[in-house]
Amino acid sequence: MLISQARGIAISSWIGTLLLMYSASAFSADGEKLFAQCVACHGNKGEGNATLNAPAIAGQDAAYLERQLLNYRNRRRGADKSDVLGAQMQAMATTLGDDAAIAKVASYAASLPKTVSAAPAPGNLHNGNNLYQGKCGACHGGKAEGNPALKAPRLAGLDAAYIKRQFAHFRDGVRGTDPKDAPGRQMAMMARTLPTERDLDDIIAFIHRQGRPK
Amino acid sequence: MKKGLIIGLLVAAVAFGAGTYFGRSGKQEMTISSSTQGASYAGGFKAEGVAVKPGDAIRSVAGPAPTNVVVVKDGESIQAAIKAAPKGTIVRVMPGTYHETVYVDKDDIRIIGVIEAGRRAVLDGEKKLNDAILYSGNNFVAENLEIRNYKGNGIMGQAGNNFEIRNNVIVDSGVYGIFPQLGQNGIVEHNVVSKIADAAIYIGMSDNILVAHNDVFDSVAGIEIENSRHAIVEHNYVHNNTGGLLAFVTPGLPIKDTVDVIFRNNFVVGNNHPNFGAPGSTVSGIPAGTGILVMAADDVVIEGNIISDNKVSGIIITDHANAQNITADPESEPNSDRVKILDNVMLRNGYDTITEAKALMLAEGKVGAKNLDIVRVGPSPGSCIINRHQYVTVGVSDFTECDFTNTAATVNYLLPPVPPREIKPGERGKVVYLGICTGCHTYNGRMIGPPVQVIQALYLDNPQGLADYIAKPAKKRDDYPEMPPQDYLDPQTRLAVAQYMLQVTN
Repeated sequence: MLISQARGIAISSWIGTLLLMYSASAFSADGEKLFAQCVACHGNKGEGNATLNAPAIAGQDAAYLERQLLNYRNRRRGADKSDVLGAQMQAMATTLGDDAAIAKVASYAASLPKTVSAAPAPGNLHNGNNLYQGKCGACHGGKAEGNPALKAPRLAGLDAAYIKRQFAHFRDGVRGTDPKDAPGRQMAMMARTLPTERDLDDIIAFIHRQGRPK
Repeated sequence: MKKGLIIGLLVAAVAFGAGTYFGRSGKQEMTISSSTQGASYAGGFKAEGVAVKPGDAIRSVAGPAPTNVVVVKDGESIQAAIKAAPKGTIVRVMPGTYHETVYVDKDDIRIIGVIEAGRRAVLDGEKKLNDAILYSGNNFVAENLEIRNYKGNGIMGQAGNNFEIRNNVIVDSGVYGIFPQLGQNGIVEHNVVSKIADAAIYIGMSDNILVAHNDVFDSVAGIEIENSRHAIVEHNYVHNNTGGLLAFVTPGLPIKDTVDVIFRNNFVVGNNHPNFGAPGSTVSGIPAGTGILVMAADDVVIEGNIISDNKVSGIIITDHANAQNITADPESEPNSDRVKILDNVMLRNGYDTITEAKALMLAEGKVGAKNLDIVRVGPSPGSCIINRHQYVTVGVSDFTECDFTNTAATVNYLLPPVPPREIKPGERGKVVYLGICTGCHTYNGRMIGPPVQVIQALYLDNPQGLADYIAKPAKKRDDYPEMPPQDYLDPQTRLAVAQYMLQVTN
């Protein structure tokens, strides 16, 4: 009796593992398929395309990507009239289908190897380091690598223009205003503490140095 | 190719010659003064009433010793004894090992270790406990203890006045070894402190302090006087730290200045320890090989020290703008004003200095100098120096000649016991913020923990969430030290400080 029960458990857990393996591969296969809709702008490696104003998404935190896709779909991001580029992404996000599809594509993009942005981002690295450590690093990580525990995305690898644009959106009440977007509201509050545009350039110059081969 | 090289060398040689020539013609006449003669520094603090004469120097600040004595033996709990004791008790701790954190919130408590044939009362945190001793009571004394293996602080004061911390051995005990925060009138002497990941002795936001006869080594910052006023640091042996003696203004703290610090008669030797402060934190910006560092502090007097074998420089004077990992505070004046450098013995400093210092030396035509005793970057108005010709210097040519040669007339800045800090009703949150939180969190920069501004953004309108977090913190940042739980504060106090922290504006 006991033995057969144990065998039963063993077999069912074995089947369970098989199912899990199958579903995991199906999951990523689905993700890859869905990702086809992203490549036109974000590049086939998810490396981003600054000319098309599309940020890098390869290797970004999956939960962050999922949250942003949901924010777009739920009109928490890209709904402000002034955010024309956000509106494009908002339209795309609504075509992705249900929550499961969004989770799949986010997880696929997150699994792609991290990239760095080639376009230069000049600025004063001394000032950039000091301000970054004082204002950004506590959430986004000392090397701009992001910190899922604090819902802070990776910034290394993003192109300067995208960071600048999003920063302005946070600061100017375009992004991070929805009561349900708590991390966005946190960022909006921090964005209002930076003294000058020049400081932002310096911070971006510092971020640009991170995560790339020395 | 060859021709080009020769021309290049010629140009360099001419430029060098011109630099030396113009450098010389710009040199002031050599002024030689004797530190045993000449006027004495008047000091920056005047106690009410008559000036203290050397013979009347105050050696104790905690008032008369209590008569009530309790004894704690090996295997018993120091905390239990303190909990049971009335205010005004000497707690004698017999040799043995004590694994505990001791909180003292009563006045007139003295924890005195008994040393028997070299055996001490050892507080051992086993790398599990955060703090050995936290005191918020006034007239607190800690003596003859050995403290090891804590993760946060050895001994931390939280707004207690009239403290005496002496004859303790503190090893590898977290971020701060001895850290009186927001205290007035205190003595830190005859302690042996080593292997501390930030400051071995950290005087934070305090006034009227004497730090003397301590042996401080193998730490990131040796003795740090930060956002404090009227401190004398003398007769200490400060060696093999990343930086030896430091007078700082850390931006973003509620007290905005550091004024009137005398560094005298210390041994500041071979402070070349690799920096092991958390990357990105304030102290991680200290170059390994710094003897004395003055950053944005005013009226720092440096006299009679033996400063040797510090590889970057014997003395570095800087402002906030030039310092690493510092976010400026609009309410803090960023320059080191009125630095006064008197006679010091400086040997073999700056033998392997940083690129920035080399560039400055080049700019001053000091090519080929093998050593560097004093380097100053950023404005330092009203500063003076005597016998400047004896040092290898950069950036001090605009220092005037000091109109005094010694500090003999300034004995110390200690006072008879001062009254406890006044806490108005409704200010509990503020006092806890000042006395505890700002030990690690500045408003807008990274000291030990994340900046207060970031915490405000994270908790927005959720003070209860923050109050819950400080009672039982969870590690969220790989590159920051873990926050010690503040569950010794009662829930009302935790909420009060959370509310205060979320609305404070600098």
